[in-house]
Amino acid sequence: MKTRTKFVIGGAIIFAVLTALSVQGLQEMTVFFYTPQEVLASPGKFENKTIRIGALVQKGSVEWNAQAIQLSFNITEDGKKFIPVYYAGVKPDLFREGQGVVVEGKMQGPRFEAHQLLVKHSEEYTVETENKKNKEDYYKSIQAQ
Amino acid sequence: MLYLEWVSFLGLLGCGLWIFLKLPIEASQGFPQKIMYLHVPSVITTYLAFFVVFIFSIAYLWKRELVFDQIAKASAEVGLVFCALVLLTGAIWGKPTWGTYWVWDARLTTTLLLFLIFMGYFLLRMSVNDRDKEARLASVLGIIGFLDIPIIHKSVEWWRTLHQPSTLFKVESGQASPSISPELYYPLVASIIVMLVFYIYLLLLRYQTEKRTDRLNQLLADTQD
Repeated sequence: MKTRTKFVIGGAIIFAVLTALSVQGLQEMTVFFYTPQEVLASPGKFENKTIRIGALVQKGSVEWNAQAIQLSFNITEDGKKFIPVYYAGVKPDLFREGQGVVVEGKMQGPRFEAHQLLVKHSEEYTVETENKKNKEDYYKSIQAQ
Repeated sequence: MLYLEWVSFLGLLGCGLWIFLKLPIEASQGFPQKIMYLHVPSVITTYLAFFVVFIFSIAYLWKRELVFDQIAKASAEVGLVFCALVLLTGAIWGKPTWGTYWVWDARLTTTLLLFLIFMGYFLLRMSVNDRDKEARLASVLGIIGFLDIPIIHKSVEWWRTLHQPSTLFKVESGQASPSISPELYYPLVASIIVMLVFYIYLLLLRYQTEKRTDRLNQLLADTQD
């Protein structure tokens, strides 16, 4: 075999592998998380696979056990269909009801066991006008924690 | 140079004092929101710096005047520093708000890609000895590299990301409507303007050095002949 042919074959293989890897990588990158609806619609597809789900924390569903450091809550898009999430870890500062979150973990039966809990905040920035919270109060509140 | 160093120094100092001493605390994030005044101006500056690279790379390929390449190179260098600042301030901001320094979502990955492309841009420049060939190859990469910026900017709309959509360039029913309170918005605009002045200062400074380096090399080459 000529050197040139070897280079062409080798180059083609490298190119094919790189293309396959980047297509897969792009798919993973472009869909950073699934929605609860997508996961509930096809449970078989996500079984025993580490996935991320992004949704809102359902109001009135948060149970936080500070002694055992265990957090459980429901995530939902529409307030009707939801997935119960269990997370053994510290509650993030911005975690609250109605907040966007992205959880990473696995479906265990009907429950999602998360090993990572990320907060997805909105693009809206406002100042606290309702409580007229000023800087001094804010600094006191973080010192008290 | 045109007192731009003093304008940027006093401007940055003034913005810093304004942000930390006068501004109200943001409602949902609290204190960490203040890094926005460094992160967002760095983003805008990065966009502009690489847009300048794009324009002057095209200009070089068209006219083959070395001055265009010197400007493109100077702007790419400043842009790379601001791009690093974007990644760094983003990571520092991400930890207290998202709960992580880094995720491989589309916004962050394409931004890292921009940084790597322009790292490659300088490696390419260093690997070529002929000045005209260096300018030619770098111009091509500079044009391609810039094309990542529209992708970065639109990534939060095209794909599902952890990063939130744009606050500053938010459009609602065809009208620009930044979703940020005026008290927090005006200092942001001021910080962006100051950062752009600082960019212009750094660009002119780097361009002058680049021009002199090329001239010196030319003179050295002439004396050796």
